[in-house]
Amino acid sequence: MSAVPITKVRTIVDKIEDGGAGIKVFSLVDPDHWELPPFKPGAHIDLHLPGGLVRTYSLCNDPADDKRYVVAVKREVEGRGGSIVLHDEVKVGDTIGVMLPRGGLDLSTEVTRFTFVGGGIGVTPFLSAAAWLKRMGRSKFTLHMIARGEPPLADLLAPLRKSGHVVIHDTSSGQRPDIAALVGRPLSDVALACCGPDSMIDDFEQASRDWPADRVHIERFVPPPLPVDPDAKPYVLALAKSKREIVVAAGQTMLSALTDIGIDVPASCCGGICGSCKVDWLEGQPVHRDRVLSPAERERSLLVCVAGSAKDRLVLDL
Amino acid sequence: MLDTLTAKPVPGAVVLSWTGVVRYLHITPRAFLPMREMPELTLIAGKGIEGDRYMIGREEGFYSHKPEEGRQVTLFEYETLVALKRDHNIDLAPEEHRRNVTVSGVPLTHLVGRQFWLGETLLESTRLSIPCRHIEEITGKAIFDPLINRSGLNCKILQGGTVRVGDAVRNVQ
Ligand code: FES
Repeated sequence: MSAVPITKVRTIVDKIEDGGAGIKVFSLVDPDHWELPPFKPGAHIDLHLPGGLVRTYSLCNDPADDKRYVVAVKREVEGRGGSIVLHDEVKVGDTIGVMLPRGGLDLSTEVTRFTFVGGGIGVTPFLSAAAWLKRMGRSKFTLHMIARGEPPLADLLAPLRKSGHVVIHDTSSGQRPDIAALVGRPLSDVALACCGPDSMIDDFEQASRDWPADRVHIERFVPPPLPVDPDAKPYVLALAKSKREIVVAAGQTMLSALTDIGIDVPASCCGGICGSCKVDWLEGQPVHRDRVLSPAERERSLLVCVAGSAKDRLVLDL
Repeated sequence: MLDTLTAKPVPGAVVLSWTGVVRYLHITPRAFLPMREMPELTLIAGKGIEGDRYMIGREEGFYSHKPEEGRQVTLFEYETLVALKRDHNIDLAPEEHRRNVTVSGVPLTHLVGRQFWLGETLLESTRLSIPCRHIEEITGKAIFDPLINRSGLNCKILQGGTVRVGDAVRNVQ
């Protein structure tokens, strides 16, 4: 029995394949090969790695391939350490917790043609999108793969190369291709997407500036964090009994901040209706947001799954 | 008021009755994983459903940190799916509400604390289910509010057996 609610999907590393150019391709599956939570083409997932690191990667498989999450990871010596752990420590059979997939490309049917520009390992979200489009019979797309020398991920690219969907731009013999020429002028039925190193994205942003914003998708290697309420502010949560102080990040729930430091507040609905996470507060000004406490109860208590703080500091009787 | 609710039926008075049917059966082995549609389920008395996350001893559900004797099997009204569409224009599929058994014609809210037959198995309801905020994360649909007070029924299994789609659901007379 775990002390807190299960918040991650437990996966097992089923396969690790060599993707070339310092890339390893990891297939993650459910321990019983059950279907995994669904994802949109080109969505990303957070992997919880040994040692407590959390890293986000794009899924590169077709969403219809629903029993695997496939991620391609380049070993970045200069990186922040996640890729090194995956390359050097993670083995077939290891358990990795993942969060529910999020984001992904908008491949709405209003758009009939797609131009994808992927730099090196940045091609991964487009492998997923391309597999999905092909299966849906929407074959009007081009994937520009910009890489030095022989492109990586040959196995994943092979079916797309065979069907004539990939244009390889080898930069080892010279310059990066002219992104403006790949992007072209705005057309009403075309959407663009780019993922790659920052300098390539800068060029792409420049080249696509005349395109309508909803037809342009840019994916940086480090995706933006989860959307938070723009007005949300961090605050200090002081715990009177245990004499601890923690910072609740903007957009984080008090419940998750408490769970993070190992304080097990019973919670059930996580939506402010069951009352099981009620805690008394002593000082400050809570923002309640629950739907069950009476005005009198709110004078003393709050529900940590939904409550926030109107001031910089809130003291709980914990 | 409450007296009329708790009063014993008068001998010879009209006895309200109902018979429902099992429309869909679903299980999943772990929290967050999609529910899989099954033609039949094996219910084990006092324990749970074979292969499901809340089976006592397996405990891989979202609330497994709080194993609950009264949540061996969960039911959901098909009529709620219809109401979500009618009143909120939300298409919620039977595999998305994350309860095990979708029934038609069964007044679940009347059954708290009562025993009833689900096919050949005998259940005792312990409490109404509470919607969970995470269902919105999993389905990507704003269904937490519309599901308040009609999020299904939690039950214990008194007598196990096999439950199949199409089985009758009956009151214990
Ligand atoms: S967990 Fe239900 S009110 Fe907080």
